[in-house]
Amino acid sequence: MIIIIDGKKIEVEGKRTVLEVAREKDIFIPSLCDHPQLTPFGGCRLCIVEIKEKRGYPPSCSTYVENGMEIKTKTPRLQELRREILELILSEHPNACLICSEKENCDEYKSTIRKVGEVTGCVLCSNNGRCELQDVVETLKIDKVKFPSVYRDLDVKKGDPFFDRDYNLCILCGRCVRVCQEVRGASAVSFVYRGSEAVVGTVFDLPLLESGCQFCGACVDVCPTGSLTERGIRYEGLPDERAKTICPLCSIGCELKIDLKRQKILSSKPSDEGAVNEGQACVKGRFLIKDVVHSPRRILKPLIRVNKKLEEVSWEGALDFVAQKLKKFKGKKTALIASPQVSCEEYFLLHKFASEELKTENVDSSYRFSPLAVFDKMAKENGLELGLNFEIKDISRAKTLFLIGEDISKSHPIIWLEVLKAVKGGAKLIVASPEELSLSRYSALWLQIKPGTEFYLLSFLSKLFLQKEQEADHPRIEGLDSFEDSLDKLDLSNVFEMTGITREELKEASELLLDTENAAFLFGMGLTQHSWGSRNVAALWNLALQAQAQLFPLGLENNLRGVFEIGRNSSDKGLNLNQIFQAASSGELKALYLAGPAPYLKKANLELLVIQDSFVNENFEFADAVLPASTFAETEGTFINGEGRLQKFNKVIDPLGEAKPDWWIISQLARRMGNKGFHFKNPSDITKEMIKIVPSFSNISYAELEKGQKIFIQEETKKERSFIPLKYSDSHYKKSKEYPFLMFLDYSLDYYRSLSLSQESRGLKAIRDSRWIKVSLEDAEELNLKEGENIAVESSSGKFKGFVKIVKSLPKGILGASFLLSEDSDFSVSGLIPSVFQESHSLGMLPVKIKREK
Amino acid sequence: MSGLNKDHGKLIHMLHDTQKKFGYIPAHSISQISGELKISESEIFGVLTFYKAFALEPRGRHLITICMGTACHVRGGVQIVEEMERKLNIKVGKTTANRKFTLETVNCLGCCAIGPVVVVNGKYYSNITIKKVDAILKEYQESE
Repeated sequence: MIIIIDGKKIEVEGKRTVLEVAREKDIFIPSLCDHPQLTPFGGCRLCIVEIKEKRGYPPSCSTYVENGMEIKTKTPRLQELRREILELILSEHPNACLICSEKENCDEYKSTIRKVGEVTGCVLCSNNGRCELQDVVETLKIDKVKFPSVYRDLDVKKGDPFFDRDYNLCILCGRCVRVCQEVRGASAVSFVYRGSEAVVGTVFDLPLLESGCQFCGACVDVCPTGSLTERGIRYEGLPDERAKTICPLCSIGCELKIDLKRQKILSSKPSDEGAVNEGQACVKGRFLIKDVVHSPRRILKPLIRVNKKLEEVSWEGALDFVAQKLKKFKGKKTALIASPQVSCEEYFLLHKFASEELKTENVDSSYRFSPLAVFDKMAKENGLELGLNFEIKDISRAKTLFLIGEDISKSHPIIWLEVLKAVKGGAKLIVASPEELSLSRYSALWLQIKPGTEFYLLSFLSKLFLQKEQEADHPRIEGLDSFEDSLDKLDLSNVFEMTGITREELKEASELLLDTENAAFLFGMGLTQHSWGSRNVAALWNLALQAQAQLFPLGLENNLRGVFEIGRNSSDKGLNLNQIFQAASSGELKALYLAGPAPYLKKANLELLVIQDSFVNENFEFADAVLPASTFAETEGTFINGEGRLQKFNKVIDPLGEAKPDWWIISQLARRMGNKGFHFKNPSDITKEMIKIVPSFSNISYAELEKGQKIFIQEETKKERSFIPLKYSDSHYKKSKEYPFLMFLDYSLDYYRSLSLSQESRGLKAIRDSRWIKVSLEDAEELNLKEGENIAVESSSGKFKGFVKIVKSLPKGILGASFLLSEDSDFSVSGLIPSVFQESHSLGMLPVKIKREK
Repeated sequence: MSGLNKDHGKLIHMLHDTQKKFGYIPAHSISQISGELKISESEIFGVLTFYKAFALEPRGRHLITICMGTACHVRGGVQIVEEMERKLNIKVGKTTANRKFTLETVNCLGCCAIGPVVVVNGKYYSNITIKKVDAILKEYQESE
């Protein structure tokens, strides 16, 4: 269709608003309440236009184009009306600075600063001129407000983490309310009261912490005024530089815009161009990046142990020292542990370094229990070749969603947004989890499962399916008969008691799953962390085949997939992570090169420990040398996100102090040890070599990567589909008289290298503390435990401390705690687990008892 | 939003029922309704603070509503309010200490022809003057 705006003919397709089309053609129409990510609202009325043969002045943000429309956007009448409307808005917004005649000079010399109401002037607004209201005042050239000015004198809300809310500056555009409801699904804020008393608020004016806020910061980002402002940058002034990079705090790989001032990170905001996140982020990406990079726990100088004490030395000294020492421990007596949070390049080099210089096959990273690794292992064991790649966007198209083993509203908030889109489109969400999810109101069915019994749940659902299926006429998939046989042999008579789920709930679940064409099954660590994880995944695989669902394995760390792909083709003759710790404690292993988080190594019996990390941690007390590595922000490279996309991240600032990027440290060491294959000048040299060598990167073109393209890595897509006969030996968790509680270990992703995010950031700590020990309401009442009280939890092999967090939805007898390898040894759950140092490793549930702490 | 919002239309009805049952909307009812209808508590709070029909504090047994619409206003509505305040010894929006009466004003009841209008428990009293106030109150003071 053709429309005319201000005399200009424009061709338009589809259902678009007048404002959208005008914006696209660079025709400026002032507006305040409209936002590209939100549905039209028509609240501020500034975007009114004149349309031929239409009565009145319709708002362009909520008027859809029709063929032949003739629109005028700048008539004198319109401008007059807009000024009037804006004056009304300004009468309730501090405006002295906005309309002051000396505004321009004042900016530079602050000449008039004392002549306007200080509290209400722009100079003291924390937005520092980044104000859409101010922009509109300037374009409409307002120089006086003829209405009496009203200052509402509402209390500024400062009690919540990360941002302040000053509704005296609010113009009630409703963007925050809409983004919270439409995009984030939290609806933590709403318009409350009416008329002149209307304000944005929460239920009973409670703090955001108690009203379902996820602290994603989306409201702060869409606010056109200074009402919502990030506390950390209130008085920092305007940034002098802006850079883009990829967030390293989970496996989604959101693109972030980083604001800098004098080489210091001021804040990080989601980028609208991010392929995955499209202008959204989560609490970590939005508010924690600067805390991570500029943490006071950063190590900024190399250290070596001299006379039993760690002392600062030059890089030359440290590298020579480490190179000399490492030469003595080549071969089987040496091991290297890498973090799944370093770049592909760095992991590639660590691998190369281990095999060429340390001459050892003992290289591992903490990905072994990740859904990716377990899924892949299960497939290999059963002769299947399965793809791991997926597109997050596919999730929003599903009609039924089954989520098991992860609270994705916390661990993968951007994937949660896709789930939300599906649910809002009518899809049904089934959740299986021990604890109610934070936004559980979106699920159609919640199966409260006892952790560790997932296998029974899934097999029983398969059985219900088979009974139904016999009536239906489905194409037969290979292996059905032997799968049926194995199901028949499985004793599921006490499945209800075992899983804690009722017959009715299971029936409802099977009906929801059966009655769909397009299902998505999302699974996380909760399914795979058990020693029988691969059998759990096999059961899920069978169920997915029956329901014709797509599987989405949700890994945690940002470069888990990269680490997995690079490590995939190396020999698996070497020791794995647990075997390394086991060998370290038995004394079999002499030297350990630690480039990733590890449990407290008190039990280890090593002759050489080298730590390459960015943050001070507990294991320093055993280290012979500490090499300060820079963070992601101080170097460049590539990460592969959970979907399988290779994304380049950029250097944002120069390395802090004397810290150096991991690739530089490893290259220097290798060169000092006489290796000529490490002459890399920058990470891109490594990328080029890596692309040549790693098979799954063979489709990557460096030139495209450099241009900022996100490329899916190559995968064998021979998708054979065949059922897997179930094998099972009874191995669910048992408590005892002495240890009457079962504690599930939550693989929390609230860490970066060896920094615990909730211990670093007070804000995150208020939202979720890694030292919380979750206790059910019933148990808390029985034991008279108070919220926040110090307690200790003891297992047969150790104890750790924490604080009581009462969780209403948790079943009696079950505790929950975050599993963070890098936690302070007193508070670290890893101290409880003998099996970190043992071969038979089970990190699902632990039988424990509670001890009161003084 | 079709799939999700099927039940959202019930919100107002549920709030009415709650108001009727308790005489106000208690906090625990908000979380109950939130779970039932899958609407956040803040959203429910937004709806219930929008309508005058819902109260957040317990109301008295008898609800007196005085119309302050234009027509009632010019015919002496303000004086009626003042008289009621004096007689009940409370301000508009408040409840008497014995929880018998709650006094509220409303912007227009739509029956301007018979103003000034006072409504008690849904019963309409027309053409009210200051003198008639006592009689109305008496009617309810005596009834239990």
